[in-house]
Amino acid sequence: MLSIKNLYVSVEGQEILKGINLEVKAGEVHAIMGPNGSGKSTLANVLAGKEEYEVTAGEITYFDEDLLEKSPEDRAKEGIFLSFQYPVEIPGVPMVNFLKTAVNEHRKHKGEKELTAGEFLKLMREKMDMVDMHPQLTNRSVNEGFSGGEKKKNEIFQMALLEPKLAVLDETDSGLDIDALKTVAHGVNMLKSNVNATIIVTHYQRLLDYIVPDFVHVLYNGKIVKSAGKNLLLSWRKKATTGLKKKTKIKNECYC
Amino acid sequence: MPGAKNSRNFSQCDSLLLNDTCGAHTFPYIEVGNKSSVVEHEATTSKIGEDQIFYCNQRGIDTEKAIGMIVNGYAKEVLNKLPMEFAVEAQNCCKLVWKEV
Repeated sequence: MLSIKNLYVSVEGQEILKGINLEVKAGEVHAIMGPNGSGKSTLANVLAGKEEYEVTAGEITYFDEDLLEKSPEDRAKEGIFLSFQYPVEIPGVPMVNFLKTAVNEHRKHKGEKELTAGEFLKLMREKMDMVDMHPQLTNRSVNEGFSGGEKKKNEIFQMALLEPKLAVLDETDSGLDIDALKTVAHGVNMLKSNVNATIIVTHYQRLLDYIVPDFVHVLYNGKIVKSAGKNLLLSWRKKATTGLKKKTKIKNECYC
Repeated sequence: MPGAKNSRNFSQCDSLLLNDTCGAHTFPYIEVGNKSSVVEHEATTSKIGEDQIFYCNQRGIDTEKAIGMIVNGYAKEVLNKLPMEFAVEAQNCCKLVWKEV
């Protein structure tokens, strides 16, 4: 589904990613861990096509097509969903209008009929239950006045509505209490299937107690320094991360 | 108005910048003919954020539509107070005008 080869990315002239290789197949869940500033969010944003991130070398193919040539909205419509680390507020635009527009843009792209207001509301209610969203939130402006936890739930709710093929969750767990974390994890697990894939970007272990990844990659200083399968995760978690910390001399309080 | 004793007025002027090549200049001008009147005015300038547009893009909404939506949202409070026929027209204007932005 997704293939990243020797990817180098700079932001404002500073090199952040230094040769990333990653293969993601349908049905897989990949976790990308690493300390602050290691390039995790950069990787997530590059996949979504954020402009400031300049790809200086390497390639990304998505369903055998060159992803880097596509605009952010085309990537979204072709099934890439980014759950934002800091969801953006859009004052004055009600959630429900925003979502209806988004869903219908996706449907148009797939050649499907646009949903009427009634049909959309029905679909929305269905998906809202999945992530335990308060019904009143959809009448408010996009993310405006939402608590940190509500914003993150709202991201997963949008993901449920848009049914992406590749979901990239950028620090979706940060700022969540344990109940919200479980709800979010539950939502992600429900949406998992053998035709879509998920990339979880995090520096905490705890989300991975609820969403079990098939592969774990450790990103450090712009490079993937360790990769492991899920059966290796437990033993590796203790040994390799402490080893890595010693080797690279980083003070890391998070991902062990 | 000299006869409007203890009257009160509040005027508000909010500007939304669409990109980094435009600006807003507001010149409040108030004539007061009565000492007992309370007159206030206020002006704000804000800008459509790249982040807001990217957020819309990431949900599959192209930039043109996104700007229309954000502008509409911004002006909604005022548009809602207009008579029906104006409101509809104004809303459509928001969708049309921002093509070249």
